Amino acid sequence: MKVNPGAMGRATVKIAFLALVLFVIFGPLSSLAIWSVAEKWYWPYALPQQVGLFYWGRVLGSDLMRSLQLGFFIATAVTMLTLLCTVPVGYALARFDVLFKSVIMMLFLLPQAFPQLPVFANAAVLLYKFDLGATIPGVVLIHMVGSLVYAVWIMTAVFKSIPVEMEEAAINLGASRIKTFLTIALPLAVPGIVASSLLVFLYSLDEFTGTLLIGAPFVVTLPVFMYNASMGYELQVASITALLLMIPGMVLLVLLERYLKAEYLSMFGRI
Amino acid sequence: MRRLENAFWFAFAVPTLGIVLVLFFAPFLYSALGSFQSKSGQLTLDNYALVARLYTKDVLYTVGIATFSLAIVLFIGILLCGYLRVYGNKLVEFLFKIPLFVPFVVVGHAMRVFLAPHGILNSMVAQIGLINLDNPPSLAYSWLGISLALAWKNMAMAVLLILGAFRSVHETYLEAARNFGAGAIRQTLDVLLPMSASSLAVASVLMFTSMLASFSIPLMIGGGKGAQMTMIDVYYRITYQGDYGAANALGVVSYLLASGAAIYYLRTVTRK
Repeated sequence: MKVNPGAMGRATVKIAFLALVLFVIFGPLSSLAIWSVAEKWYWPYALPQQVGLFYWGRVLGSDLMRSLQLGFFIATAVTMLTLLCTVPVGYALARFDVLFKSVIMMLFLLPQAFPQLPVFANAAVLLYKFDLGATIPGVVLIHMVGSLVYAVWIMTAVFKSIPVEMEEAAINLGASRIKTFLTIALPLAVPGIVASSLLVFLYSLDEFTGTLLIGAPFVVTLPVFMYNASMGYELQVASITALLLMIPGMVLLVLLERYLKAEYLSMFGRI
Repeated sequence: MRRLENAFWFAFAVPTLGIVLVLFFAPFLYSALGSFQSKSGQLTLDNYALVARLYTKDVLYTVGIATFSLAIVLFIGILLCGYLRVYGNKLVEFLFKIPLFVPFVVVGHAMRVFLAPHGILNSMVAQIGLINLDNPPSLAYSWLGISLALAWKNMAMAVLLILGAFRSVHETYLEAARNFGAGAIRQTLDVLLPMSASSLAVASVLMFTSMLASFSIPLMIGGGKGAQMTMIDVYYRITYQGDYGAANALGVVSYLLASGAAIYYLRTVTRK
């Protein structure tokens, strides 16, 4: 059998290219995995001298679990409140001639354009004035600024993509707008609502800047916990936390891979 | 009845708008006003004088890093998306989506240990004898480390945006180019790139501003000495010195740098 040298060459190039891509993507992440099991590691050794799950055991019994629970609690609250606010507002913006509609849409867009840190630093001053600094409600509110801005646009797009004719039929038969919204539009929007609530949940879980400025020192979610560990050179603890922090995002990536469109993901340029 | 319905929609709109107005726009305006005030509340330009004296270098440093990082992202992104558009490769496309869902802080920490003097990258390069670990070069804690980390994180968004633009170029144009003997690179540079120039410009503006405003990555892998990115300066100015005036002035400078993106966003709304 003769092997075509051209095909061989192409296959080699293809494999080399794939290896390069794998290295670029997983190289930095692999250091997390290695550090997470490194019990003893000092240079000049290229790999840890002693590998084990000692730090995993220690970390899982520590404050990390509290941060994890707290993060999930905050993310759940943020997601529910965001949905409650943005589903009706998105519907109204998609269907009605709302007064000053373009101004309202703009208000929900500009926060994405400007740097968050200087704004959140001043928001923190405000929240402290209302005794909301370093409290869970304060952190929920600051997460909601980011999530509302994002979810209003997504919800408006979701409702715009639902054909209006069915709702017109319901209204012609005498249903009120609210009833039409609840019984026709809302059920049809469920897939879009589910997808965006997953993204909002992830956003809240991963949010760092606002949580650091408003939550510290009492409200420590997982990203802040990881930051503290990494800055304190607890590299094993930080790496394990980083790996745990990646899990929800990776699950979501696999679940939503087919639906990932650039316009829905603008928020993720920020966390 | 009609009035009752309006009240229903209004009831949801008020908290939604309220939170964004009170916790974004009010602090935004407050920071702009605060930048013109001295500690005793008098109107002054002292904060800007201080920023010009202490932070001009840092602003240039920030713009430099964002530019360099954007150049890396665009260079790799365009070639990669050209390849993906012409030949298609589902696996590689999927792999490049991963950084999108890795939070900035995790990227910061991962790059910190990956690029450290005795990190994984240096160990690997040392294995093949390219560098000497007794005197290792350090990418972390430098502008290059920040740029590489930002490029890594932004690559996912770039691939989504650029590939989306390339996919909207009709296949017939590529076929025509192929009939004239164009390979993948020529098809990318001569057909795909010019035809999606406007989407690419938009993507570049968005990525550039998000890099200028990046906080957690430079916080984790930036050096403790020398020039800092502006967001780090703002943060330190507030947490270590409690100097909101200068921090706000620096914030206003960062708003001005980001106004390119703001203008683009405004046009999207007015177009609709």
